[in-house]
Amino acid sequence: MVFLTLSCWIRNRGPDRYWKVQEVLSNARHFRGRKNRCYSLAVRAVRRAFVYATKARKIKRRNMRTLWISRIAAASREHGMKYPALMHNLVKSSVEVNRRVLSDLAITEPKSFLSLAKLARAGQQEGFGAALGDGKEPPGVFSRIVTLQ
Amino acid sequence: MALTLRSGYLEMLRTCWRLQARHVKIPVLNQMGLLYPAIARHQSSQSKLPSSYVPPTSLSRPPWPEVSYISSDEEERHHKVVLENVNTLLAKEDYGRLFAVVHFASRQWKVTNEDLILIENHIDAECGDRIRLEKVLLVGGEEFTLIGRPLPGRDLARVEATVIEKTESWPKVYMRFWKRHRYQKKRIIVQPQIVLRINTIEVAPRLT
Repeated sequence: MVFLTLSCWIRNRGPDRYWKVQEVLSNARHFRGRKNRCYSLAVRAVRRAFVYATKARKIKRRNMRTLWISRIAAASREHGMKYPALMHNLVKSSVEVNRRVLSDLAITEPKSFLSLAKLARAGQQEGFGAALGDGKEPPGVFSRIVTLQ
Repeated sequence: MALTLRSGYLEMLRTCWRLQARHVKIPVLNQMGLLYPAIARHQSSQSKLPSSYVPPTSLSRPPWPEVSYISSDEEERHHKVVLENVNTLLAKEDYGRLFAVVHFASRQWKVTNEDLILIENHIDAECGDRIRLEKVLLVGGEEFTLIGRPLPGRDLARVEATVIEKTESWPKVYMRFWKRHRYQKKRIIVQPQIVLRINTIEVAPRLT
């Protein structure tokens, strides 16, 4: 007598569950707690980690830019200029050095940064001179700054 | 009469200071503090004053900072002096290590000799090819800097590099997930990378 229906009752599951699980767990091995061992907890943690990584790649660019700006502002204040004045005058003098390189120059090449600050300062004074003109009031205008005569 | 009174007060103050000890000086000063600075200023300010003197108040000068005007002759002289110095430096070729700011692959790099640069895209050159990076924005050494507005000439600075490696980046995961909406995407991004080694930076000794 041969029992043939026994073999029909055996379910043949997928052959590679182990590797699919390892694919997820290998990304979670450095996590803390049971998330680094148990698959159902690890799946959620790994998903969050990947989403945070994708978002952080965009935010990193913003953070780096603010860091460069604050460094350039500090360095320009050492030389008696402010950051908006420095950038505006560098743009007016058509010097197209970007903020990342400016912050690197401020750190490693202080003399070059000083020369750039002086260039911006000269442009600023020129702008002030052009705005102030002769220094005299136009005739027939009564202003608060009354000079003793 | 006012003068004699004030000088009398001064004498009294001076004798007080001489007679009393240091620790009693402070209450004496507080009583006379209002009068004494006026006395001193009046006594010293009588001697030398130009007729156009305006006492400094909140409205005595304009609220914007004073502008220092530089005449064009002075500027030209200054420019000539600077030019001479830089030309002598370049002619001697005594400068040590030069650095340059190069615009390459839509990014600016601050570069010296023997530097390695990683670029996240593809270039048509082969491995081992020698490349000249043309868009130089700034060249400098320890004693001088040449700032381009925006670029100094093509003949002024020369930056040469070699292509060392052409690889791909590590597989970055791009994942989006919206909770409680059954939405998630996963994509693996692999970007081509190129490693350049900067061989030389040269400055041509010709400036006007």
